[in-house]
Amino acid sequence: MTVARFDDLIHPATRLSLVATLAAVDWAEFAYLKEGLGLSDSALSKQLTTLEDAGYVITERRLDGSRHKLRARLSDAGRDAFEGHVAALQEIVDGAGSSLQVAQSRRDDTSI
Amino acid sequence: MERITTDQAQAALDRATAARGRVAAEVGLPRGYWWGLAAGWVVLGALGDVGPSWLATTATVAFGVGHSVVATRLLDGRRRTAKLQVSAAVAGHRTAPIVVGMLLVLVALTVGIALALHADGARHVGTWSGLFVGAIVGFGGPEILRVLRARLGR
Repeated sequence: MTVARFDDLIHPATRLSLVATLAAVDWAEFAYLKEGLGLSDSALSKQLTTLEDAGYVITERRLDGSRHKLRARLSDAGRDAFEGHVAALQEIVDGAGSSLQVAQSRRDDTSI
Repeated sequence: MERITTDQAQAALDRATAARGRVAAEVGLPRGYWWGLAAGWVVLGALGDVGPSWLATTATVAFGVGHSVVATRLLDGRRRTAKLQVSAAVAGHRTAPIVVGMLLVLVALTVGIALALHADGARHVGTWSGLFVGAIVGFGGPEILRVLRARLGR
């Protein structure tokens, strides 16, 4: 069962779209993500690095002909974080969790 | 500390849903699959008209076996492009039965057209019906599958 948990790292719009895309695929190539999200090479690289540093994304370079292509996929931790974040957002929309409660849970997380 | 309002949460959910929708739109079969199928349709139709019966029968069996081999790998709809692999959860499990059903309808259409042409006294009815349905498969296969998945695949 998914535990609702707001995730500050995932929440920014671009990163949320990126993680949501990766949550729907087994893997995706850098070129697809760049085109689909309308990002520059550097912007996408930066977002992937941030998520990879957090353990949410795994990237790998594969040789395709004479060119290396970067693939990205969501780690188990990243998938759990995304599903928890979506559940937290849904709770807010449903009124089950108020904005105050979200803020409180985040404060609790940081105090642990 | 930033607080998330209902509207902001809804907007974020919409973004996530849109991203999933873009991936779901990638489900399908490679363009080459449809053109290969169309070519097979035309060749089989023509062989039925001008070739000996043993050749038409052999070609039909060979085409069926060849298609089965290709379809085994492709019919889950997750390899339309080489740029990503759609997750099984998003692709669903209905692509294969939808494609098979679509092919059966097209076979019935081919036979129906051939019978109508034959009744009208036309020559080479297999070739003409194969060309007609082959054109539908080649040019419209991906779009037909997309519409059928949208209506039946949920």
